[in-house]
Amino acid sequence: MSFQKLGMELLLIKLKMGGNKINNQNLNNNTDEEMVLNIGPQHPSTHGVLRLKTITDGEIIKKITPYIGYLHRCFEKHCENLTYEQAIPFIDRCDYIGSMNNDFGYAVAVEKLMDIKVPEKVEYIRVIVAEMNRIASHLLAVGVFGLDVGAVTPFVYCFRDRERILDLFEMLCGARLLYNYIWVGGVSHDFPIGWVEKTYDFLDYFEPKIIETNDLLTYNKIFIERTADVGVIPPEVAISYGVTGPNLRGSGVKWDLRKNDTYSIYDKFDFDIPVGTGAMGTIGDCWDRYYVRIRELEESLKIIRQALDQMPRDGDVYESMPKKIRPKAGHIYSRTESPRGDLGFYIESDGSATPSRLKLRSPAFTALSCMDEISKGWMLADMLTILGSLDIVLGEIDR
Amino acid sequence: MNYFTAIFQTISTLITGMSVTFKHMLKIRKGNVTLQYPVERWPRPERDIGFSSDSYNVIRSRLTVDMDDCIGCLKCERACPVDCIKIETHKVEKGEDIVEANHTGMTSNGTTKRLLLTRFDIDMSECCYCNLCTYPCPEECIFMVGGPNSTRHEIDYEFSEYDRNDMIYRFSKVPPDILQSYAEKK
Amino acid sequence: MVDFYINLFSSIELIKSYQSSIFIISVLLAGIPIFGFMAVNALVAVYVERKVSAFMQDRLGPMGHGVGLHAGKWGVLQTLADAIKLLTKEDIIPESADKKLFLLAPCIIFIGSFVAFAGFPFNEFLIAADFNLGLFYILAMSSVGVIGIILAGYSSNNKWSLYGSMRSAAQIVSYEIPAALSLLPIVMLSGSLAFKDIVLAQTGSTLGILPNWFIFNNPFMIIAFWLFFIAGVAEVNRTPFDLPEAESELVAGWMTEYSGMRWAFFFLAEYANMFIVAGVATIGFLGGWLSPIPGYFDGSIWGVFWLVSKTSFLIFVMMWFRWTFPRLRTDQLMRMCWKFFLPGSFFVIIGVGLWDLIMR
Repeated sequence: MSFQKLGMELLLIKLKMGGNKINNQNLNNNTDEEMVLNIGPQHPSTHGVLRLKTITDGEIIKKITPYIGYLHRCFEKHCENLTYEQAIPFIDRCDYIGSMNNDFGYAVAVEKLMDIKVPEKVEYIRVIVAEMNRIASHLLAVGVFGLDVGAVTPFVYCFRDRERILDLFEMLCGARLLYNYIWVGGVSHDFPIGWVEKTYDFLDYFEPKIIETNDLLTYNKIFIERTADVGVIPPEVAISYGVTGPNLRGSGVKWDLRKNDTYSIYDKFDFDIPVGTGAMGTIGDCWDRYYVRIRELEESLKIIRQALDQMPRDGDVYESMPKKIRPKAGHIYSRTESPRGDLGFYIESDGSATPSRLKLRSPAFTALSCMDEISKGWMLADMLTILGSLDIVLGEIDR
Repeated sequence: MNYFTAIFQTISTLITGMSVTFKHMLKIRKGNVTLQYPVERWPRPERDIGFSSDSYNVIRSRLTVDMDDCIGCLKCERACPVDCIKIETHKVEKGEDIVEANHTGMTSNGTTKRLLLTRFDIDMSECCYCNLCTYPCPEECIFMVGGPNSTRHEIDYEFSEYDRNDMIYRFSKVPPDILQSYAEKK
Repeated sequence: MVDFYINLFSSIELIKSYQSSIFIISVLLAGIPIFGFMAVNALVAVYVERKVSAFMQDRLGPMGHGVGLHAGKWGVLQTLADAIKLLTKEDIIPESADKKLFLLAPCIIFIGSFVAFAGFPFNEFLIAADFNLGLFYILAMSSVGVIGIILAGYSSNNKWSLYGSMRSAAQIVSYEIPAALSLLPIVMLSGSLAFKDIVLAQTGSTLGILPNWFIFNNPFMIIAFWLFFIAGVAEVNRTPFDLPEAESELVAGWMTEYSGMRWAFFFLAEYANMFIVAGVATIGFLGGWLSPIPGYFDGSIWGVFWLVSKTSFLIFVMMWFRWTFPRLRTDQLMRMCWKFFLPGSFFVIIGVGLWDLIMR
């Protein structure tokens, strides 16, 4: 491809991304009816530093352009200088809300690359902590969504329940939010004495809380009016944009990597995949996505209970941990189900102790990309509802 | 008909919601989750919502190095992902005590030491509290305060300083003038 | 009260001839306690709101503990600290704002609430300005605040403020209608617009235990009460109708550019409006200054106590609404007003009239 052609391609990409001067002048040329509103990087309601340039005609949205990159930390390039063990604290920090799931995905990828088989106890431990982190992440998503819509109290309740999970994690590995717990070939510590009983207590404590959240928020008529029929993602649009996770399941597509592309020991557990059915409006609206998350809380509770019952109580977690992680040359792409969707890792190794390329496929990035399409024709207040229902984390989008 | 069902649903769901918050308001004495910070510290005094500090497995806190046990192998420096540990060593006679440099010849585990640590700085403001430096140490001399290798004492999370330079912890025990003479020897 | 003072001073021989200054002094003497009451009401209401919201959310709210300048035993000094902070804040006026209107807006809003307070009775005798169309006067005066809101949004020269103030103006003006119409049944049942007569018509009791309040008179009156109360909540811009000042959506809506004491004026006016709406609901439906146990605890001072406690209960219900429900979008709010509340208030008027006709 000649350099001119390459230049033209880059120019077209720049135009599409909305960052070029020509495009900006175009926007300034708008008619009197259109207003450019900047929901800027500092705003109480964007989930991180995100800039949304909105063109409205007063109230109805015509076009949204998200500007990202405010949280970019050059994570992927930096990992090329770190060994495989040293990269784990950095992978934690990408999706800082569900960081056990990040580590899980990475460990599964590197173990596939090196053909390591971990002992059964380690698999159970990983599933338990990953599902607990999924509960914590969904609680945050549900609470913040309520906050966006105006209900402050469910937010505080969800955080109070989330604190119990974080206390359990602090007892387990010392850290509350960024764990560095799931390592390649095993986990860093075994469960301390008394942790399993405390987890059972937590499961008993948490089940009535879901009912309370349902009473307070899910079936509340004002909430339903705010979220039903708003921001509908039709299933074809979702699949064509690459949206995965609860956003895709909210549109009626029954696709979950824990069942459809099983990794680790998820085939030993009996759980459902909740799918949006349009109970309060159309299939694929904000209420469906929210309700899928609430139902996933219940399913995760089931998985954790079964895992705690089935887990072998004795075993060494350090058995299959390699002394030096030095995979053979090759590459691999593996994916796992994080609370936001389909988290993919592409690792390319050249036989040394540091990866030569590490790429993270972020599910929230694709969710944000479809935002322009689904919010055309809605009002400003709805735009924040839609953004909240997509559950994005800027750390994952910008890396 | 839809009109009236909408009204009825609104009223019933609103009343359900209001009763939830009202119950929470009445049960505030038992249900409150506030920890009034300077007076009550973590873990909470009477109500134990999680665990007690003597059953900790690990803890993420500030780092401490037991200098008498350090043999200068540099494993922790290499393990750190953010390069916040800086170590400089100097070759000395094997197994000999050098009193003026506060150097003992043998660690408490019985290993003989060959290197004098002239510099062991950990910059806690860069540390990401990942705990990766504590695992490779062969003498178990670097650990996070309050963890399994220290005498169990209260969790120490109140180590903020006014000046950024105070956050660099210097563990080397060599007095400055002796340090000068070793630097000249190089 | 003003008449009382004028008569009092005119009866003193020494100053009988200075009629104009007597008038001014008596107006001041009647008006300053009102202002004092408004300020105290705002202070107490802010403290109660923070505590109530905290208790509903399983936390403790402002607490004072330990040594030093903490916020008092149960956090009671917190509002005082807030007031001092607001007084000493820097007064920022945006450069491109319309300065005169910017400075005028808080004054107009405050004037609206203050003037409405002037006609509000605490007792049969304690009214600053005793009209014989008290109810009508208060309803009219509480609409003056809209002008202030529009001025505030326009003069801030800020897209967000403009949005917020336009929405707020539309909301307040629309919800005036169901509020006023729901008060018509009271006038029908009592035959007068003056507060004294309204409360007088609620004295006594049926069967000796149930007080004769208007809310128990008629099943339609319960609906009228709730219609008036919710329309009143919409007028004060409280959740679930607080989209104009929604924190998570428009930063702070039409109040964004105001800081320090000017913002405190808005705040004061909001709590004063809350008190007025709750107060009118109490007087009209819940018996005003009559005691709930007919025959006991009656008297002038008890009257003030009952009025203030019933109003405080209604203010608590307003706070309860705020911390439980999400907020309505503007078009849903408008739809609710014109399609549900307005027919509802007509229905209530017809119902109350028919019931009264049939039952009498």
